[in-house]
Amino acid sequence: MTIHHHPSDETLLRHAAGTLSAGLALVVAVHIEGCAACRARSARFEAVGGELLEDMPQARLAPDALGRALEQLDLGSSASSARPTNVPRQAALGIKLPQAMRQCEIGPWRWLGPGFKWSKVEIAGSPQAKVMLLKGRAGLRLPAHGHTDMEFMQILFGSLSDERGQYLPGDLDEAGSDVDHQPIVGTESDCVCLAALEGDTRLHGFLGRLLRPLVGF
Amino acid sequence: MKRVEKEDAPPSADEQCQLIQAVATARDRSAFAELFTHFAPRVKSFLMRSGLTDTIAEEVTQETMLAMWRKASYFDPSRAGLSTWIFTIARNQRIDRLRRGRVQTTNSLFDPSDEQDAPLSGEDITIAAEREQQVRTALGTLSDEQATIVRLSYFSEKPHAEIARELGIPLGTVKSRIRLALNRLRSLLDGDL
Ligand SMILES: [Zn+2]
Repeated sequence: MTIHHHPSDETLLRHAAGTLSAGLALVVAVHIEGCAACRARSARFEAVGGELLEDMPQARLAPDALGRALEQLDLGSSASSARPTNVPRQAALGIKLPQAMRQCEIGPWRWLGPGFKWSKVEIAGSPQAKVMLLKGRAGLRLPAHGHTDMEFMQILFGSLSDERGQYLPGDLDEAGSDVDHQPIVGTESDCVCLAALEGDTRLHGFLGRLLRPLVGF
Repeated sequence: MKRVEKEDAPPSADEQCQLIQAVATARDRSAFAELFTHFAPRVKSFLMRSGLTDTIAEEVTQETMLAMWRKASYFDPSRAGLSTWIFTIARNQRIDRLRRGRVQTTNSLFDPSDEQDAPLSGEDITIAAEREQQVRTALGTLSDEQATIVRLSYFSEKPHAEIARELGIPLGTVKSRIRLALNRLRSLLDGDL
């Protein structure tokens, strides 16, 4: 699989640093899972983090910090092996989901417009993250729109194209406020993608306007 | 495993690998204590810089060190240096804490640091030690201004606009410094320079 559209370096850095919001981080994790180039790049940004950690000044710990840790060692290992595994609810959507999504709750397909469906994705511990799977029928033309917040979209199946190019499985599109486009689903098949919107406060933009009345985000 | 008591002689990368392997294979508590002494104060600094309070940072540092103990056998020196591995554990523990903190009612059992990495592919195989050395060199050549921005990008979730206010410089300048620092890191990391 040749991947043509990758997350920006800034995005990969923020992902490695753990400072991306949960929704965007999930989309990037799905991309990295399928993209060896970004996996290698991300490992380098993590190594930068390791280097920065090594150079950190030494904060003062509680006087008994090491003693407490040593006491916990044996407890810790038994507690973790006894911890139950979380089994999330995932609706059968007829597609194979990436490993990075195995801890997510996945809702059933719901109608969003003619030839257009969506499914709510919930990240454990981050119910406020605005993440969804979208499915468009072959040949569907979406309305032209701009963006206010950051929107990441990772193609899982089928294809999309717009004025900027064609997006195939494995491609990630970072659309910011500078992007105005009219995506069209490829004619060869339906298209399924994972999309996330930045921001916790209000839904803006095209997806936001579509989803606001329908979604309890 | 011999114990290094000297505060001013931090374990080298090689010694760190030996220590974590002693933890993994022999459940060596004194090796754990040595790693704790080296890493815990640094992890706490990292956590406090990324916005946790002293109390929470102390707790998450404990959780990070305990996770290091539990997961020691997963550490793979061909994949990453120990400081990088611990950085990723601390990062994940921090994310987990923020998520748990936000939704007290949700019974979150999900620990992102339990996630296993994807298997290595041919393209991934860069010798980790070589990579860490490249990174060290790359960071060393950034200007102070660029290094500040890189640090802020790692340790802060603040939007660029807020970083600009704090540094007292225009937003455009912050964005261009980030871009320059990233370009510089990229070319150094790619070995173009
Ligand atoms: Zn990529």
